[in-house]
Amino acid sequence: MLQKQGRGRSGAQGDRDRGWSRDGDSRTPRGSIAEEAPSTSRGSSGTQEAPGASSQGPRRSQTAPSVGPRTQKQLELKVAELVQFLLIKDQRKIPIKRTDILKHVVGDYKDIFSDLLKLAAERLQYVFGYKLVELEPKSNTYILVNTLDPVEEDAEVRGDQGTPTTGLLMIVLGLIFMKGNTIKETEVWDFLRRLGVYPTKKHLIFGDPKKLITEDFVRQRYLEYRRIPHTDPVDYELQWGPRTNLETSKMKVLKFVAKIHNQDPKDWPAQYCEALADEESRAKPEPSGPAPSS
Amino acid sequence: MQGSTRRAGIMTDVHRRFLQLMMTHGVLEEWDVRRLQKHCYKVHDRNATMEKLEDFINNINSVLESLYIEIKKGVTEDDGRPIYALVNLATTSVSKMATDFAENELDLFRKALELIIDSDTGFASSTNILNLVDQLKGKKMRKKDAEQVLQKFVQNKWLIEEGEFTLHGRAILEMEHYIRETYPDAVKICNICHSLLIQGQSCETCGIRMHLPCVAKYFQSNSEPRCPHCNDYWPHQVPEVFDPEKERETGISKSNKKVLAVQAALVVPAEGSLPGGLPAAALSEREASVFPVPRTTSLFFTFMVNIFGINRS
Repeated sequence: MLQKQGRGRSGAQGDRDRGWSRDGDSRTPRGSIAEEAPSTSRGSSGTQEAPGASSQGPRRSQTAPSVGPRTQKQLELKVAELVQFLLIKDQRKIPIKRTDILKHVVGDYKDIFSDLLKLAAERLQYVFGYKLVELEPKSNTYILVNTLDPVEEDAEVRGDQGTPTTGLLMIVLGLIFMKGNTIKETEVWDFLRRLGVYPTKKHLIFGDPKKLITEDFVRQRYLEYRRIPHTDPVDYELQWGPRTNLETSKMKVLKFVAKIHNQDPKDWPAQYCEALADEESRAKPEPSGPAPSS
Repeated sequence: MQGSTRRAGIMTDVHRRFLQLMMTHGVLEEWDVRRLQKHCYKVHDRNATMEKLEDFINNINSVLESLYIEIKKGVTEDDGRPIYALVNLATTSVSKMATDFAENELDLFRKALELIIDSDTGFASSTNILNLVDQLKGKKMRKKDAEQVLQKFVQNKWLIEEGEFTLHGRAILEMEHYIRETYPDAVKICNICHSLLIQGQSCETCGIRMHLPCVAKYFQSNSEPRCPHCNDYWPHQVPEVFDPEKERETGISKSNKKVLAVQAALVVPAEGSLPGGLPAAALSEREASVFPVPRTTSLFFTFMVNIFGINRS
């Protein structure tokens, strides 16, 4: 396990250190490593043996003994792979498991996993404006959250018109919040029926609304869907999922609901108070940084 | 690739929003790229002078370099429209996860690609492609399903269908290097720009080929076009040089038309309405304040890397 002094880039890393700075700092390596040509062919064949670099004994007990030092180019490529992996995986809106990251991308580099992930997170934030966050504390699964706010005019310039389902999601999220953060499935359908959305009928835009709400949104962690015990016929309750809290907020949802009704959020005092309190708790600094917990 | 020697540009929210939205397209015509750039400035930096597009893109590319991605500029083969596509510059085993396509689907694309490259016109007929369905790797595919898969490729802007199938400009931008390396004998090159040529015009005497936009530029205001190689009379109609101004006059670019059509389709009134009388048209995505990460349907580059194991530096 690498020794991590806060930033994890302390001197104990030695020769790997030189590759990490984003602006391509070309300090001479401390170890005796030949600068190799970039190997952009296969990311997984990145490791190489350098004389004397392996098994550094007790002083370097934290470095993986059988893995030699890697060149800056190899590390850069590994981070690039990781960034692409995270982007691709998040595209499907399924939380990315740490084990998958290890298995599919990091591989031989698992000794520096945390550093790689941190660097990837930095790149994602700096280049794309996406924040890598853990879905729930200690869950070891991640999602990407957009740090740029949505703007109505974005819709005109977007390429993928294929997510009209977000509209349905917003309605359901709004319903849940306005009804006190939990709602019965039967109540959801009672409401959606008025919009021409039925659990059993195929919808022109949403396709299979029942599947969307009770399966897809749940899998994407926007909603939680739980069986209510002792109900006959069986009923389920719907609540906000962890992704919802990360991607939006009570206040934003309340504003959305208010907009649809052409009213002011303050017209719902109870919900407004709750949303305000939520805003305040968000404004407080987070106890742990955005970096993934090791 | 010495990324360290060139100082990378600075990303601001203008650039980030641009990149995010660019990723939702994968490939865009220049007109739309300018529009997108303008939109991003409007959102984040209303008063700033907009950077020249070329510099703007170069700035972003210098930052993307370390991620082995690039916004590449090219030109459509049929009418010379400038296009921009997000391409991958390195092969990664990661890409194997990227694709939404099964092994047999990817192999179908490979087969179509080979037919297109081998053909004289740069087009492959549906019939000829579908006849190869039995030879595909992976699960057995019926011809009917193959037709659907081909349509998927068209929707994802990897193929263009104009009666027959040819490569989308995006595919050409992404795969030129790979194609030239893999099919060195079959590949056609334009006599003027020396880039990969899929469709174009050829001299009937000596056989040299030129892209349609290259022909247009080369023979512009030349009443007696002659082959640059053998000087024989050029037997084909010389197309017009692409004029972005003319495009602006008609007010609408090709891709823009598609966008509007899709948006119109989304706003379908439902039977009921929300309390307060607002029709369900408000349910279109514009109202959503959940702003998930834009769906990166454009990760075409990863697809390419996946099936072809492209090895580029």
